[in-house]
Amino acid sequence: MARMKFYCDAERCIECNACVTACKNEHDIPWGVNRRRVVTIKDGEQGERSLSVACMHCSDAPCAAVCPVDCFYTTGDGIVLHDKDICIGCGYCFYACPFGAPQFPEEAAFSSRGKMDKCTFCAGGPEDDNSSEEYKKYGRNRLSEGKLPLCAEMCSTHALLAGDADVLSDIYRKRVINRGASAFEWGVNFDKAKL
Amino acid sequence: MRKLTKTSSKIDNSVTVDFKQAMPGAISRRTFLRNSGLMAGGAALATTITPVMMKKADAAVSNTGGKIEQVKTVCTHCSVGCGIIAEVQNGVWTGQEPAFDHPFNKGAHCAKGASIREHGHGERRLKYPTKLVDGKWKKISWDEAINEIGDKMLEIREKSGPDSVFWLGSAKHSNEQAYLFRKFAAMWGTNNVDHQARICHSTTVAGVANTWGYGAMTNSYNDIHNSKSILLIGSNPTEAHPVSLQHIFKAKEENNAPVIVIDPRYTRTAAHADHYLRIRPGTDVGIIWGMMWHIFENGWEDKQFIRQRVYGMDEVMAEVKKWNPKEVENVTGVPEDQVYAAAKAMADNRPGTFIWCMGGTQHTIGNNNTRAYCAFQLALGNMGVSGGGANIFRGHDNVQGATDLGVLSNTLPGYYGLAEGSWKHWARVWDLDFDWVKGRFDNGSYEQKGGKDVHVMNSTGIPVSRWIDGVLETPENVAQKDILKAMLFWGHAPNSQTRGVEQKKAMEKLELMVVIDPYPTASAVMPDRTDGIYLLPASTQMETYGSVTASNRSLQWRSKVIDPLFESLPDHVIMYKLAKKLGVADQMFKNIKVNGEEPLVEDVLREINSGMWTIGYTGQSPERLKKHQENWGTFDYTSLKAEGGPADGDYYGLPWPSWGTAEMNHPGTPNLYDTSKTVADGGLTFRARFGVERNGTNLLAEGSYSKGSEIKDGYPEFSHEVLKKLGWWNDLTPEEQKAADGKNWKTDLSGGIQRVAIKHGCAPFGNAKARTVVWTFPDPVPIHREPLYTSRRDLVEKYPTYDDRKSFWRLPTRYQSIQATDYSKDYPIILTSGRLVEYEGGGDESRSNKWLAELQQDMFVEIHPRDANNAGIKDGDDVWVEGAESAKVKVKAMVTRRVGSGVAFMPFHFAGHFQGKDLRSKYPEGADPYVLGEAANTAFTYGYDSVTQMQESKCSLCRITKA
Amino acid sequence: MRIHTLLVVFCLIASVFQVQAAPPPPPPSLYTSDPGIELWNEIRQRNGEVRGVTQVKSTDADILINVSGENWRQYRMQQLIPIAGAAILIVLLTILVFRLLRGNIKLSEGRSGLKILRFTTNQRLAHWSTATLFVILGLTGLTLLLGRKFLIPVFGAEGFSNIAVVAKFLHDYLGPLFVFALTWLFVLFVRDNMPSPKLDLQWLLSGGGLFGKHAHSDRYNAGEKAWFWLAAIGGLAVIVSGLVLDFPIFGQTRATMEFYHFVHSVSAVVLIVVSFGHIYMGTAALEATFEVMQTGYCDANWAKDHHDLWYEKVKDSAQPEEQVQSVAKAGMAQRGSTDTA
Repeated sequence: MARMKFYCDAERCIECNACVTACKNEHDIPWGVNRRRVVTIKDGEQGERSLSVACMHCSDAPCAAVCPVDCFYTTGDGIVLHDKDICIGCGYCFYACPFGAPQFPEEAAFSSRGKMDKCTFCAGGPEDDNSSEEYKKYGRNRLSEGKLPLCAEMCSTHALLAGDADVLSDIYRKRVINRGASAFEWGVNFDKAKL
Repeated sequence: MRKLTKTSSKIDNSVTVDFKQAMPGAISRRTFLRNSGLMAGGAALATTITPVMMKKADAAVSNTGGKIEQVKTVCTHCSVGCGIIAEVQNGVWTGQEPAFDHPFNKGAHCAKGASIREHGHGERRLKYPTKLVDGKWKKISWDEAINEIGDKMLEIREKSGPDSVFWLGSAKHSNEQAYLFRKFAAMWGTNNVDHQARICHSTTVAGVANTWGYGAMTNSYNDIHNSKSILLIGSNPTEAHPVSLQHIFKAKEENNAPVIVIDPRYTRTAAHADHYLRIRPGTDVGIIWGMMWHIFENGWEDKQFIRQRVYGMDEVMAEVKKWNPKEVENVTGVPEDQVYAAAKAMADNRPGTFIWCMGGTQHTIGNNNTRAYCAFQLALGNMGVSGGGANIFRGHDNVQGATDLGVLSNTLPGYYGLAEGSWKHWARVWDLDFDWVKGRFDNGSYEQKGGKDVHVMNSTGIPVSRWIDGVLETPENVAQKDILKAMLFWGHAPNSQTRGVEQKKAMEKLELMVVIDPYPTASAVMPDRTDGIYLLPASTQMETYGSVTASNRSLQWRSKVIDPLFESLPDHVIMYKLAKKLGVADQMFKNIKVNGEEPLVEDVLREINSGMWTIGYTGQSPERLKKHQENWGTFDYTSLKAEGGPADGDYYGLPWPSWGTAEMNHPGTPNLYDTSKTVADGGLTFRARFGVERNGTNLLAEGSYSKGSEIKDGYPEFSHEVLKKLGWWNDLTPEEQKAADGKNWKTDLSGGIQRVAIKHGCAPFGNAKARTVVWTFPDPVPIHREPLYTSRRDLVEKYPTYDDRKSFWRLPTRYQSIQATDYSKDYPIILTSGRLVEYEGGGDESRSNKWLAELQQDMFVEIHPRDANNAGIKDGDDVWVEGAESAKVKVKAMVTRRVGSGVAFMPFHFAGHFQGKDLRSKYPEGADPYVLGEAANTAFTYGYDSVTQMQESKCSLCRITKA
Repeated sequence: MRIHTLLVVFCLIASVFQVQAAPPPPPPSLYTSDPGIELWNEIRQRNGEVRGVTQVKSTDADILINVSGENWRQYRMQQLIPIAGAAILIVLLTILVFRLLRGNIKLSEGRSGLKILRFTTNQRLAHWSTATLFVILGLTGLTLLLGRKFLIPVFGAEGFSNIAVVAKFLHDYLGPLFVFALTWLFVLFVRDNMPSPKLDLQWLLSGGGLFGKHAHSDRYNAGEKAWFWLAAIGGLAVIVSGLVLDFPIFGQTRATMEFYHFVHSVSAVVLIVVSFGHIYMGTAALEATFEVMQTGYCDANWAKDHHDLWYEKVKDSAQPEEQVQSVAKAGMAQRGSTDTA
């Protein structure tokens, strides 16, 4: 069976935020909730790199571990999903998640956050596939139609990859080979430019 | 190539129980949920206590809501032209699928393209015709609006003449709408018609066309796959053309192509570059000549190419000699080793491509910059080869088309110019009496050329960059009957032009302002007026159909996704209504079918095809374009050529020139000036545009000619005389001979001259040398001149700006009188501007898209830590940025090393605040964008290119203080 | 001669090595190593978070990898839950064992029939509000902590979710009320709970009279004082941390929330576990004890047994039971309060 993963190639990510808006688009996500985001390290300086981050569908998901009501489940493809009907909006999954994937529609007093929302790998939720209930709560279920997450499909430079882990590794390995020697020769040392 | 293959046709989505936590006996969650009655109650209980998760958007329909129709269209944001597949159910735009087949983007998008579905249910649109009455917005009907506007326009025409109405068109028109717009201005009788290209790539078009014949991107985004090196100057495609990075990375990774970025900012593009040269804003000529100094010093230039295909390189070499490393470092700030390394990288790795954008064009010496860039590529022999070229990335989705179709105050469609011959050509195409057309104009002359009076019909109009002076100048100083009294902002925001404070005054002085746009734009809120403003809701390109020209000259067909929203109407329908009111509809649509009030788009394109011989917009018939749309997947990703399939042999989009009539079936020209292909197969030579000889030197190509050319040397452009001389006249059919007699390749409406020339392997426009000396320009050989507002007063004497001009594009234009004053003490920081990936142009459309707006909520200025510390400013503080002409904007400070010390950067997409005041309440109800901010251009200053009147918005001066 | 040969040989050998050993140094490389490599080293740091820049505006969105989350997860799942569960069980068992061994501790001289006012109405109200809130908060808190392990198997996922929703609702809304209740309680009881070092130590050393004879005690014995101060300090900790957790509207980072969760959970579990002792002591452990906080009056003999020094001070105010009841009733009539005798 396929094991679904994301991989963001930092050498290609240009922080165009297509993945962010594609996700908002596909699942009609309200203002304030961002299932996916792009984080840039060393912004404006040499070595600036960006990464697109959302739920990484961990095999040993910390969110699932700490949830007081055990509302998470992992599909056969390794996709970590959760049931909003069970979620109590306590926020623990957000504390535990290394990637900050869980999002909440509210930030209110008395710890009132609303139901947790996060990237579903475009695989919907526990409701019936492609039902309107599923769409309202979790967004589109692309996987059931044989498609892949829209964020990766729309990534401007194909930096963000999503799909079976083996296929992804293959793609990335080819890239590393192509980049080849240049991986060790990166940028120009201007002090030594006079040859 | 990417291989996001779906590994199984049915992905198993079954739930597995997490056995780590469950106790024995617990059943699977899914079955439990399905079977237990608790679900309904629990869910209800849960939702009463905690808020409902998703707000139901108007267009949030499940997949079960009806049959899904897939509509193919093209993104309306930048010039890459990404394909879009819109999913429509019951007329509602419910989904967007990646267009994997599309040769330009292969399904990819940037944030704007990926969120374009929001246009289909955008709530912040201008919904109905609106009029400002006593300071309040009032809804009126279309008929009322057209009537009142028409009456007022006619009144102004009566009193002040047709030149007192400015027709400001749009880079967002479709080709057909752009063409109709230019025609409309001609029917009205004025050359005061312009659009965003003026302030975008006008200096490119002028500089490049005057170098080798056409002023457009010579290769394509896809052709970059073949580049062995890539140089970008004043271009930040990671934010302005994100999907182009797909192609740039391909070259970088597979060809190991070094990427060189020259920019005052360490942009996101620079972060992926191998070389980064930080130049002082406005010193492009210096750095390019500095690189060429090394090229000539080391003999790296392509001598054969220069000998055969370039005129004037020796004059350039003489100028370049002055730019030794020391001078380069003094003027640009870049040390020798960096310049050398960059030059060597380009020289060692050919073919290399050269990319530039606003950073190079928006200067008083913009035309010098662009010509320097061309000279660089000519010196290295990088022109006319796959992987090389001058890959000019245009801005808006159809700025190329609007430029080609002549929405410009200095020409007619197809760059024919404004001479009488051009008007006669177009009068023929329009099937109108030339004298009738001439009679529409004010019968006056306010300029002289060569001692003779120039009729206002043949004189360049006022450009958009100067419209405010057309209002505020004293009437005697404006070379037309009267000053401007009315502005039609037809798809053009005001905050992309400089001098905002004066612009506000000009808006207040006008008698009539009409904004025709899907959004109110800042034009609605900037002026303090109580009436005289009309807002007419235009439909976006998603609500209509037509063709659009991408930066690489390919024409793409857009299909209609949804019906016009609210009471909006497509531009061409509005044009018809207004034309009817103004009494020119019969002439304007003489040979164009009108269904109800909608001109038939296909007929418009056919009329374009029948007249645009200069740049080969003749072969792209509606049928051929639609065929291309239906067969995206048959075009090769790198060469753009269809191998097999219904469009076999064509290049995608029939990139112009697609010579001759559609029947000739010319495949389009993917890379300009490429002699390795036959002209019939998309090859080309340099255009013979500047004469045959100069000062005893042959201006035609020597020993260089297209594959399959029967003339194995240079030749002039084709006319009936040339054909007759060559003995090819009888290759024309009798009908063609009738049409072609007395004509040339530009004016022969049968296309026969072009056909026969190509039949003999020749380019219809001749085979000449490119020239690096433009003897008709203020600076024949490009030189450096300091910006009007410069911080390097020590260089002003050696590199002064131009003398003031009394009348230039009908207006007095200042240079020297501004540079003479030293502003650098009071305004010590160089101010520059640019783009953000989330927003587009003036920004009202993208700031009204909630998915985009959320990502950029505050207007800001990038300021270096040193300058911030000197001014006591911390990251996130509110600051005043005061421009050198005393206009100030209040923005947030972003302290970053992206800019160098002494330079500050502001994005130009924001509007809706003005000098610290929030104007949100002035927008019509429900049509204010989600995000408002100061317009950067409020603080930008006077300064205009010496050939095209391009504004100098890349280098001004400012001071930044804590608010 | 031999030395000479050796020298020659040596030189020859050395010269060979010379030739082999020293090729000219390679020209300095024009290119540098990928700065991105250092980047990944930074991001993988486990002792610090790398903050970048992002266009998404929410708390901590600019942190690429949340390092503290894993520590917190380990703490909560591998330490807090098992230890809390075990502690609760152990303490309950201990009390049970104690009960079995020691039985109900009777009054040494039986009831006297005379009542002494020990707690004012104000004090009783403060105590009971605090106690009620404490129990609800404790139970709801434990539900959220341990419910997944023990209650889901019983009620199922959906059922437990409903319970948890109610538990969270009560916990989050009543929590702030606990602030007022505990403060009120603290103010009313603090004066007499100040430590009397010698006396308290004495009491402690004699085991508080739990095994064997009674120890001397003033109004409150060392045990009660200990509970008071534990409740005060632990309560303060649970309140402050609780408020931080209950109002995540001030941009608290995850690291902040995790820290305060740690404080909240530790202090709460300690309080709960010790409260078992207090509750046992105040209800079933001793004869005639519960009625004291219930009515406010204690039997004189009870006072003599357990708080002898206090008894000496107040014995003159002892009243017969019937009088107290009628006074109480009269008081009720006067004030219209809900005092129950």
